[in-house]
Amino acid sequence: MRKFWRCYVCNDIHYGIKPPDVCPTCKVKNAYVLISTHEAKTICGASAEAGFGKDDFLTAIQEFSKNNEFMVNPDPAKVGLLLEGIFNNEHNHGLKYCPCRLMAKDFDEDLKIVCPCNFLIHETYKGVDKGECWCGLFIKRPKTSEVIP
Amino acid sequence: MKKYLMFFGRECPHCKAMMPIVDKLEKETGISIERLEVWHDEKNADLMRSYRPILAPKCGGQLRVPTFFNTETNDAVCGEVEYEKLKEWGTK
Repeated sequence: MRKFWRCYVCNDIHYGIKPPDVCPTCKVKNAYVLISTHEAKTICGASAEAGFGKDDFLTAIQEFSKNNEFMVNPDPAKVGLLLEGIFNNEHNHGLKYCPCRLMAKDFDEDLKIVCPCNFLIHETYKGVDKGECWCGLFIKRPKTSEVIP
Repeated sequence: MKKYLMFFGRECPHCKAMMPIVDKLEKETGISIERLEVWHDEKNADLMRSYRPILAPKCGGQLRVPTFFNTETNDAVCGEVEYEKLKEWGTK
C-alpha cells in the first residue's frame, strides 16, 4: 500500500510503497520518514503554486514528452477541447480525468484515467504505427523522416 | 424494446467527430440513437456505469466514450469508427 514519506532535510514529499534511497532534491541518503496523510496534504497544499492553468499544464506535458517516444498532439483545436474537458473534470470531479473516458467511482480504477495516464498500454497506441492515447492528446512521435502535417 | 444509445463526452474530440456520422446513420436507416452526455450529467453517467460489466470488457476494460450501445442485444462499439462499422452495429 502506498504511503506518504517526507525528506527530513528539505521536506520533499514522496508518495509510494517505499521511499527513494536518495532524496532527488537535496541528494541526502536515507532521508525519508513515514508521515501521515494529513501532514502530507498540509505541506503539499501550503506550498502548491496558486493557480495551475491550462497553459501551465500544456507546458508541463510538453516538457514531460520531450525525452519520450511520444509528443503532444500538434492539432491545437483537439488539444484545446481536451484541455477544456480535463480542467472541467478537475473542477467538477476532483482530478484531471480524461474527457474520453468515464469515472467508475472506484478510486484506484479512476486513478488510471487521470491525465497523463499510462497510455503506452492502450490498444490505440501499443504496436500501432501512428499510435495515440485513447483521447488523442499524446501521439507517437513520428520518425525523423516523417513530416507532421 | 430495442434502444440505441450513444454515450459521449462534451469535450471529447472523438465524440465530436462521430456526431455527423451518427446523424447520417439515423437519416439513412431510420433508427434513432439517444445521445447521452456523461461528464456533465450525473444521471447519464450513472446509467453508463450501470452497464459497466457489459461495456468495459468491450472497451479496453474501462468506460470510454464515445460508446454506442444496443440495450437489447448488448452489442457495443467504442471509439471513433468508420460509418460502415457503426452501420453494422445499428442494423443488427
